[in-house]
Amino acid sequence: MEEKIVIKNVNKFYGKKQALFDIDLTIEKGMFGLLGRNGAGKTTLMKTLAVLHKKKSGDINICGITVEKAKEIRAITGYLPQDFSMYPNMKCDEALEYLGYLSGIKKAECRKRVTSLLRKVNLIEHRHKKIRELSGGMKRRLGIAQALIHEPKVLIVDEPTAGLDPEERIRFRNLLCEVAQERIVILSTHIVGDIEATCENMAIMDSGRILWKGTVHDIIENARGHIYTANVEKRFLPQIKKDYIVTGMLAQSDYVTLRIVSDAEPDLPNTVLTEPDLEGAYVYCLRSMGCDVSGGDE
Amino acid sequence: MLFGKECRKIFHSLTYIIYCIIVILMLTTQYFSDCAEKEYRPVRGEYDYGETIIEDHDLVMSNATDDLTTEFLSNRYVCYPFGFYKAVQLNDKKKAKIEKYIFEITGLDSDGIAEKKNNSMLYNFTDGTHNYSEYEIDGMPISDTVTYERFKEIMSDIDDILGGGSDYAVDSLVFRFSRVPMTYEQAIEEYDEMMENDRISGAYARLFSDYAGFVLAIIPVFVAAALSAADRRHRTSELIYSRKTSSICIIFTRFAALVTTMFIPVLICMTAAFLQILSLYGTKDMDMTTMFTLPSFWLIPNIMTVSAVGMFVTELFSGGTAILVQFVWWFMSMMTAGAAGLIGRIEKFTFVCRHNSLYYRNEFIGNWDNFVFNRIFYIAVSLTAVVLTVFVYEFKRGGSFNGIRLFGKDSIFRHKA
Repeated sequence: MEEKIVIKNVNKFYGKKQALFDIDLTIEKGMFGLLGRNGAGKTTLMKTLAVLHKKKSGDINICGITVEKAKEIRAITGYLPQDFSMYPNMKCDEALEYLGYLSGIKKAECRKRVTSLLRKVNLIEHRHKKIRELSGGMKRRLGIAQALIHEPKVLIVDEPTAGLDPEERIRFRNLLCEVAQERIVILSTHIVGDIEATCENMAIMDSGRILWKGTVHDIIENARGHIYTANVEKRFLPQIKKDYIVTGMLAQSDYVTLRIVSDAEPDLPNTVLTEPDLEGAYVYCLRSMGCDVSGGDE
Repeated sequence: MLFGKECRKIFHSLTYIIYCIIVILMLTTQYFSDCAEKEYRPVRGEYDYGETIIEDHDLVMSNATDDLTTEFLSNRYVCYPFGFYKAVQLNDKKKAKIEKYIFEITGLDSDGIAEKKNNSMLYNFTDGTHNYSEYEIDGMPISDTVTYERFKEIMSDIDDILGGGSDYAVDSLVFRFSRVPMTYEQAIEEYDEMMENDRISGAYARLFSDYAGFVLAIIPVFVAAALSAADRRHRTSELIYSRKTSSICIIFTRFAALVTTMFIPVLICMTAAFLQILSLYGTKDMDMTTMFTLPSFWLIPNIMTVSAVGMFVTELFSGGTAILVQFVWWFMSMMTAGAAGLIGRIEKFTFVCRHNSLYYRNEFIGNWDNFVFNRIFYIAVSLTAVVLTVFVYEFKRGGSFNGIRLFGKDSIFRHKA
């Protein structure tokens, strides 16, 4: 069975409103990041891949199975929704067993997998805790465990790190990378750091469209020569923010060091062309595609 | 496995605990207190042995005509259209029609009726909202020219004039107007029926089912709606939708879990009821199985139907709507069953079957075919509702349908507005 997802010309509507426009993507084994702002259409695409939404047109083929064969697709995909939640009175192991049975796993096998997964996500000591007693990070880890209970070929995780503290976020990213050794993992997020830390391949979405797809390295290279740093007095900051796209600021007494995305060298003191990062590259990509990246008024 | 997990989910829900408390409390305060003492063989010379129903056409015509004249003179007719109490007042044109029928039945003219009125006592009553007076009319003559067939035609017309649901509906005539005081011999016969043909437990099983039946015609909807709405309330719908198991398996497993768990407190009460009658009567004349078989056949269709309808309406709309729908249905069923009398009248389609007595076995047996049809019909209704739930669930699961919201910010009425 081929281990890739092929998405061709997929369109999706909510009533009369179009949510996805001609989505074309090929996703291979390993971590794949889908980056975009809130409302970009990431969750819609994730849900369409998880057979929770129906596409209007186009083709989706997951590991050789067309998405119309819902039952077969459900058997090979694991899904962690954006707001993962379970019955609050259930214990961790009970919840996993319940979802395991719903995935058609036999009792003895299910128990074995539950223990192994709880160990993997570092929740084995909390197995008898009720869901409502878990912290946000623990819940997300349990979310990953439930998505893996039936050993899927594809794991779809939607905004998994939102709201997690830095330590939990790192732990979660490492867990995803570990899981991605054996399968396709699609990580949808609006947090650039998550993609930068975990993914080799990625796509950028905005307003229901794929703006860019390729490797993380390529998108960063694409922005090379367009990311600058400048050291300016704080009092000029409001004007500079109006004139340029500022992606980072580091204040030092009366001065502030800015990271600026610009086609030409900014007319500012102490401007230096700098090494691009994914955040700058992402903003550069959005801007070069004509998206509004002004960030609003201050 | 999945069935066990669904049962466990129900056992841990507060709604289910409340359900168990209500069922046990209702049966304790109603059935167990009614049946705390042994029934003894009637003794000759007792003041009252109760009533019995016989099919005596002369008695029907006489009693019905007395009641009709009473109501005609006060122009106040008590009816139960669709099971709801209604005091009907007629306009002059309709009053004239009723008067004409009374003339035909009795052979009297307006002077004759006025004379009857003048010779009767006037009583004052209140129906809770206003006062009214009624003449106690008794012994109205029946014309020789009126056959029972013609009498039924007249009664049918009168029931139509009154808007239906009156005591004069043809189906109600014998039940309403052909009651006679039970004689000692009849009382002995009823008692012997209970001891010999019902073998004690049959009679108690009927009474137990009657009390449990009207509770189980409404309370299960709370548990069913809570279980069905739990996925949405705890935001687990998508997790479950994305699983391999088919919608038919999920819904039927949940349905089976609901029926099983909700039958458990009923079974416990049945066992307690059986132990109670064993302690009162001993084992000698006792049928050892009927206390379990009859209530199971009587009550499981109630639990099945209420659960299935609760699941279906909750999937289609919401938990609140399911409770509302079931409450209206239950209320109407109770009123219909109440209007039909609490003993011996089991219709083919009345959801709540009633037989509120240890006696009148023959009336119950006389309705046995209706009863069996009724219970099988409601099993079929419940299975149909479960199948419809599967369809709704499958549509929701594939993202084709998201349920109809009647209340809240996503209400269909808001969109239209």
